[in-house]
Amino acid sequence: MTIIRANGLTFTYSGQLRPAIEEVHLSIEEGEFVLIAGPSGCGKTTLCRCLNGLIPHFYEGELKGDIFVTGLNVKDHSIRELARYVGMVFQNPENQLFALSVEKDVAFGLENLGLPRSEMMELIEWAMKAVGVYELRDKAPYELSGGQKQRVAIACVLAMKPKVLVLDEPTSSLDPFGARQVLEVVRKLNEELNMTVVLVEHRLDLAVKYATRAIVMNDGRIVLDGDPRDVLSSKEAISIGIDVPKVVKLYRALQEVGLTLSEVPIAAEEMVQLLQEVLKR
Amino acid sequence: MSFLDVLEGLRFKKASSPIHKLDPRVKFALALSLSTLALAFKELLALIALFTAHVPLILLGGVIRQWARMMKGASLFAFFIFLTNFLFIHFHPGYAALSPTFVLPISMALRFLTIVGAFSCFFLTTSPDDLGLALERHLVPFTKWLIERVPRLKGAIDPYGLCFAFIASVRFIPTMVEEATSIVDAQRARGLELDRGGLLKRIRGYVPILIPMVINALRRSDELAEAMESRAWGAVKERTSLYELRLKKGDAIVMALTALAFAIAVYVRISIPIPL
Ligand SMILES: Nc1ncnc2c1ncn2[C@@H]1O[C@H](COP(=O)(O)OP(=O)(O)OP(=O)(O)O)[C@@H](O)[C@H]1O
Ligand SMILES: [Mg+2]
Repeated sequence: MTIIRANGLTFTYSGQLRPAIEEVHLSIEEGEFVLIAGPSGCGKTTLCRCLNGLIPHFYEGELKGDIFVTGLNVKDHSIRELARYVGMVFQNPENQLFALSVEKDVAFGLENLGLPRSEMMELIEWAMKAVGVYELRDKAPYELSGGQKQRVAIACVLAMKPKVLVLDEPTSSLDPFGARQVLEVVRKLNEELNMTVVLVEHRLDLAVKYATRAIVMNDGRIVLDGDPRDVLSSKEAISIGIDVPKVVKLYRALQEVGLTLSEVPIAAEEMVQLLQEVLKR
Repeated sequence: MSFLDVLEGLRFKKASSPIHKLDPRVKFALALSLSTLALAFKELLALIALFTAHVPLILLGGVIRQWARMMKGASLFAFFIFLTNFLFIHFHPGYAALSPTFVLPISMALRFLTIVGAFSCFFLTTSPDDLGLALERHLVPFTKWLIERVPRLKGAIDPYGLCFAFIASVRFIPTMVEEATSIVDAQRARGLELDRGGLLKRIRGYVPILIPMVINALRRSDELAEAMESRAWGAVKERTSLYELRLKKGDAIVMALTALAFAIAVYVRISIPIPL
């Protein structure tokens, strides 16, 4: 089932001369894990905002083309309606937690939906356990590390049982350990709950192994779209200035000196295995 | 003592004591009754009794150190109250006939300390979460009632928004303190001097601290609004709440005792003359 579909999506922020995204055509199936990369200012955040209605309902500007998420035309549905279908996790972990305890924060969205208490309790417990913050439920935001905060932020949207999880550079302020934990949680939700994931990341080294599909944007347009291995090992990805994982760079360097491995590696372990194969030959 | 110290002194710390467990409304009623009585009496003996009455609460709540800090801050004001009263009586001999020169000024200072003590006891033992709950529990019906009477106010007051603002402002205090510290450090590293020079120079020194703080706050409010919307803020008219305040047996007992003590005090005030 196609869960996200964009046709000729173009958005210009009011007061801006050039569109931030232009002629975006995109179709995402349920259960995909889509990684979006691209240089700063290429429109990744803008595209995310179109997925939960922040554009056009929160940010003013001119929206052309169409975008459907879980069959709903984003233009015709408010952000609060879309919140049940699309969960959005932002870059700054600090400014998306408002309550004085983890538990109350996770409850926030459900309280807004007017759910009865008993139902809320169940969902909150489930969401906190799913992202591994159940033990932290009584902690205040300032008692949490960045990675914990970001996982709480995921629990907050997860409790509303969305179909799509959109994360805009969720690890940019985290250390590698925290970043990996956050991405592991996202992978788990994708695999176990078949949740569709749209992840904007610049740490490709960490993120690419989780993705089933990679999209590279440049200047407001989608320029590459496909299997993560193909996308990242393509010439364009490097010329655009994507921070291609080191193993992929090594793969290309080996290719240039005439050694072509049987597959594009995306993790160090894979590279080790591929090299061992070659050495055995 | 700097401003941050006072904030720190007022900051609620998680703990579990019989006082912490009391319903916030009961505690508020207690603080309010004590303060009302402190204003109703001017006799030294009565005020000593009232002041002493709140000390066991502080002890039971285990917040004596923070309380002492508040009292230290308040004692300066208390001294001024004493002084103005003393001088006033001294220069208006007519008043001296009412009470011995020292007794009334001391009573007045004690009255102030009792009110400060009662309310710091309330704030030190009540979690902002509980305060928010109490606020939501009563503000929402109150606004409804008000709008029924004054229909013009419809849309002008958003009780849920007010409660959210309260909770969020408490939630962001530690964040902002942390932010302020790191901005001060960064500007110091660039050669900003905050503790040298005359008053004007010092005040000017704070400008490079305040500007980033204000910018951060503006950006924060934008991001908060975005995140709130994305989590369905305002989706239904009547928000529910994960927790609900409920008066327990202990709350009822404390409430009854407070009412009884208050009634007795009022009776004393009306019909029994106090010597001092
Ligand atoms: N609120 C806004 N108002 C006006 N212009 C904006 C706004 N947000 C983004 N833009 C502009 O739109 C373009 C795309 O920005 P966007 O934030 O989507 O890029 P991005 O790919 O997320 O970049 P980054 O990697 O830095 O986060 C940029 O030129 C940016 O200046
Ligand atoms: Mg961005």
